Amino acid sequence: MDNLHAIFMTEAGELMADLEKGLLQLEADPVNVEGIGKVFRSMHTLKGSASMFGFESVSTLTHQLETVYESIRNGSSKLTSKILQVTFESLDHLKKLLTDPQMKEGTLQQAQIDLLNRIEKLAIDTQPIQHSSSSNTSEVSPPLCCYYLLFSPQENILRNGTNTLYLVDDLLALGNGIALPHFKKLPTFDELRPQLNHTCFEILLETTKQESDMRDVLLFVETECELDIKAFPPGASLTEQVKQLAWRGHAIDMPQGFDAFSAMLSSGANPILKTGARTSKTPKETTEAQQTKASAGSSIRVSSDRLDELMNLVSELVTTQARLSLFSSQNQLNELSIISENIEKITRRLRDNAFTMTLIPIESLVVRFQRLVRDLSKELNKDIVFKTEGTETEIDKSIIEKLTDPLLHLLRNSLDHGIESPDERMNKGKPRQGTLLFKSYYSGGSVVIEISDDGAGINLEKVRLKAVSKGLISADESMSERELINLIFMPGFSTAEQVTGVSGRGVGMDVVRRNISDIRGDIEVTTKENKGSTFSIRLPLTLSIIDGLLVRIGETDFILPLSSVNKCYEVETTILEETFNQWVTLEGKRTPFIFLRKELRIINQTPDLSQVIKMEHEGHDVGLVVDKIIGQYQAVLKPLGNFYRHQEEYSGATILGDGSVALVLDPYKLIKKLIDQQQVNLKTA
Amino acid sequence: MPKHILIVDDSESIRELVSLTLESSGYTVDKGIDGVDALKLMDGREINLVITDLNMPNMDGIQFIREVRGRKDYSTVSILMLTTESQQAKKEEAKAAGATGWIVKPFVQEKLLEVVKKVIR
Repeated sequence: MDNLHAIFMTEAGELMADLEKGLLQLEADPVNVEGIGKVFRSMHTLKGSASMFGFESVSTLTHQLETVYESIRNGSSKLTSKILQVTFESLDHLKKLLTDPQMKEGTLQQAQIDLLNRIEKLAIDTQPIQHSSSSNTSEVSPPLCCYYLLFSPQENILRNGTNTLYLVDDLLALGNGIALPHFKKLPTFDELRPQLNHTCFEILLETTKQESDMRDVLLFVETECELDIKAFPPGASLTEQVKQLAWRGHAIDMPQGFDAFSAMLSSGANPILKTGARTSKTPKETTEAQQTKASAGSSIRVSSDRLDELMNLVSELVTTQARLSLFSSQNQLNELSIISENIEKITRRLRDNAFTMTLIPIESLVVRFQRLVRDLSKELNKDIVFKTEGTETEIDKSIIEKLTDPLLHLLRNSLDHGIESPDERMNKGKPRQGTLLFKSYYSGGSVVIEISDDGAGINLEKVRLKAVSKGLISADESMSERELINLIFMPGFSTAEQVTGVSGRGVGMDVVRRNISDIRGDIEVTTKENKGSTFSIRLPLTLSIIDGLLVRIGETDFILPLSSVNKCYEVETTILEETFNQWVTLEGKRTPFIFLRKELRIINQTPDLSQVIKMEHEGHDVGLVVDKIIGQYQAVLKPLGNFYRHQEEYSGATILGDGSVALVLDPYKLIKKLIDQQQVNLKTA
Repeated sequence: MPKHILIVDDSESIRELVSLTLESSGYTVDKGIDGVDALKLMDGREINLVITDLNMPNMDGIQFIREVRGRKDYSTVSILMLTTESQQAKKEEAKAAGATGWIVKPFVQEKLLEVVKKVIR
């Protein structure tokens, strides 16, 4: 570590010299673009390595300076002599900081605060329109442009450790876009070799980034792929119809080409008709015909009652279809089974289609939140930036409606109790500005929403004392960290020293948790003192129909959501019964397993072979053991009624083709419950 | 499951710097001082990524990459090499030997992590 330190000191010295040189150059010629870039880069590097080696004071100051120069660099403000003056003073100060990073000398500390304030004032002056709470979203950015990318990696690209999916992912991360995989080169199954790549991708990307940024992503594979990037004319944007393509992408085996898409983008026509080589011979005719149709309007408003009705009908259809499939398999009539299979296919597509209609992006909520954060942080005199990630994640509209209140409550909590006042943050050596991150993403069959702040975190000792004083626990009760955190969800609990107008509204965290479990969701907290807290909410994708795996234990059928199933194995029952610690080796990996038969108390003859269904639970593999796997099944979820209300491990019931009822298991909650009861241990024994 | 990364470099400071950066981001790390040493560490344990320098005594980076690609158990592991701006020819040679990508020296913490995230996640 010592010689690393020495390396840093030399490097920092060099960077500061560069910085000084650049600044002097700028003083003579303030509009020198190259000079500004150089100064900016030096600051950036200095900031990076300073924080790496624990020179927090250096990195805080350079960070603030960097913000000012960033806005100069992107042209939204001008370099004034005042800015230069402050920068020079800061530079002299930074040099002193290098020898005394902890600011033991009192004057240094004063100077640091003084400079930070002055720089911040500059930042506000240079960014008149930009408000601090929205700095990441409302950046004065280059215009949005739409690009077409044809990315066809060579066959042997996988051989040197490249994962093309990551690259596609990185490309999509540049903006808002879709990727359409094509398998035109796919050989027959016998000749298929998994080491070779047969896929090429067409990507439509709406982004503010440049073509060079896209090439940057593919830098490593430049020589191993063909890449074609074309920009659509200005004004083109990804229409709903084009986005739909991603859902139905499996139907396309040939690249469509730039021209086909450019017609689609400008007209918003439905492209699905010209799938494959057969119909693409006449692309012009099709698009022209549809152009007129599409101009009537790309969306219509439908009342949500009608959508609900549609979903109900689809549910009925799915149930009836299950009966038909069963009947046809019992009767072995060739004609009947063809019809039945076809109906099954159509039903599934109809279901998916109806389902996507009820999905709305979380984005629609976030706009309200942004306003809330802005207003509240002003009211509380805090400097808070609100960041969002993955707001395009879509979720059932009925879930969103019920989610607003709990989310608002969590945000208020983080703003009020989580993030400290700027002065307090400075004293703790954190950046003045607090960050509140709202993030959502898909995880298996669920959607996860995370609200994290970099504030004070939850003081567990305070939680304990409060709980004792409220009589929720006894004073000498020993509790794990997790149990302590969970106390905040107990009815009638509030840690705030005084009730403020913001969060102490009588609605406690217990209400938040109840609201969330009403929509079959789950809430978890992780917290670290002075680092912040994260609330993560896990929600089901939909409330009505799921793709399930129908399994049998004894005489009883159960449904497991297919989305959570990872892989299935056949294992001799005796092997499972003879292990004493509930671990079994699957493909050379030790995996803990749960005997569902035991947990569900089904007692009768065990079969010779059992099926282990592997799933993932918070990053660990777990096997669920059942007697028999029957197959895939579309399950219409019906509520279980009050009697089962507290059986969280069941998400509902469904009616099978023969009219009998199967319970739908929620593996996530089942496994969690068993872990809480310490019946299963997922960590390596 | 934290991803496991093997760092191969003859300079101790670089090794420590890289491993410090990676470990503080939640990766686990093994360190080899040159190609020969690193191959010994590839004993069947799970390795998600190899970061290797090019100029090393005993066995240099390029030969090392060739050896790794020739081994059945690690033939498709991601390999990043550490290069300097001026080593364009070397870079191509390493690429031909089977390197996945490269990191240009000198680099800052974020840059390293950014590149690592490009190839494993």
